[in-house]
Amino acid sequence: MSATITYVRTYLVRLLIIIGLVATLASYYFVSPQVDAVANELNIWNMNIMTFTLFVGIFTIFSRYIKSVMDRSKYWPYMLYGMVLIIVWIIFGTYTGIYSDIYQTAFLSTKITLHIAILGQLIFFMTSAAYRLFRIRTMRTAVFAICAMAIVACNAPWLLGPFPIVDKISFWLLDNPSMAGARALLLTGGIGGVVLGIRLLLGLEKGALRATEEV
Amino acid sequence: MITTISSLVGQIVAQGRAFQLAMVVIIGILTYIAYYLGKEGKEWEIRPLEALEATYEGIGRAAEMGRPIMMLPGISDLGNPQTLAGLTLFGEVSQQSAEIGVEAIASASDSSVITAVEAIVRSSYTAAGKPELYSPGKFVRWFGGDQFAYAVGAAGHILGDKPAVVLYVGYFLFDVIVSGDTGARVGSIQIGGTLGSMNMIAMMCDYIFIGEEIFAAAASITRDREAIATIAGQDWVKLLALLVMVVGVILMAAGSDVVSKLMGM
Repeated sequence: MSATITYVRTYLVRLLIIIGLVATLASYYFVSPQVDAVANELNIWNMNIMTFTLFVGIFTIFSRYIKSVMDRSKYWPYMLYGMVLIIVWIIFGTYTGIYSDIYQTAFLSTKITLHIAILGQLIFFMTSAAYRLFRIRTMRTAVFAICAMAIVACNAPWLLGPFPIVDKISFWLLDNPSMAGARALLLTGGIGGVVLGIRLLLGLEKGALRATEEV
Repeated sequence: MITTISSLVGQIVAQGRAFQLAMVVIIGILTYIAYYLGKEGKEWEIRPLEALEATYEGIGRAAEMGRPIMMLPGISDLGNPQTLAGLTLFGEVSQQSAEIGVEAIASASDSSVITAVEAIVRSSYTAAGKPELYSPGKFVRWFGGDQFAYAVGAAGHILGDKPAVVLYVGYFLFDVIVSGDTGARVGSIQIGGTLGSMNMIAMMCDYIFIGEEIFAAAASITRDREAIATIAGQDWVKLLALLVMVVGVILMAAGSDVVSKLMGM
């Protein structure tokens, strides 16, 4: 019985997804207020579902974290810290309002500060990655490294004086091979995405469900 | 005549989108033809993908080393085709790993992706006949919806578990530098593919899925004949796009802008 309910639920959701997909596509391509109304209505449903999943997410986090903290499993202090923070922010936001000055100041002083700290660290990670890349091991990495060095040189003003040609080489690389490559990736990626969508509609892109069907 | 047709089309189709609509319909038809031929029994020969071969080898390497395989499907949600391609790859990797006793671990940014990844791991263990080995929250970690919280969390996860292989397939931005560099430091084999931040992935990974290869890999890893057939349809569409480009360039060089007008540009 429970399996039947699961199948019915799955097919209903699939039907809804197809209606939503067709309505979204139709409202993008066709001039029709009726189709726009259907797409908007389904968007509102989507937003409601997203809001609901937020509550489900918080409930799931707590149910798992509480168990891990009680069992003293690996990383339990972080889980406890996470739960305390969630409660504090919920109470704080509900009490003061999320657009209040105090809430925004607290938010900017914590999350954004940490965000910027990580952005600053990125340069070290990039340098480390660039070092590995510049250890020329194959023909391909050699070409890559030479091109990258030209771009680096273009961004070093003290090099542009004695070697003005670096500027021209860099912009040629950016405007021609780099631009062509980026466009090729975008074009083929777009086509691949559409074909993936068709595979989904045909039921060929099973992913996780594939394993379930074999049980 | 052409004016009448274009005015009629203009009343039905949104301005400047007729060519896009025609292309979507053509892609659909070509893909369906390829799928139909595959269903009828036609075998398509597809080019082996280096990164995909490395993925198969990586599962064996993980078994030999007794270390897990890690999958990072990026920072987007289930509405992104790149994430879906990553999850399909993970589905296969997770199942093969479960069969030979290798742990497949994952971390994602979006909560809906976390739910999907948990379902993948659970069904993989069930299909491998080892449902008792699955435990919720053991294989999949969530570090918050923020891009860098995910990056740093995933990096910590890599440092803690030292996976033999790390797969980065999905939608990534600058965050991939943090986890990618950490993966390289712990000596993991790194396999990656994305569309936007391909340069970062290329810097960090040993094997890469270039551009749409992530979608081709998602279809071919399942070894499903009908799914592989759609890759042939995808190649026909690429040929068509190339043809439009060549004709457009020739006509533009000859002083005609008919192709760009047709595209609604």
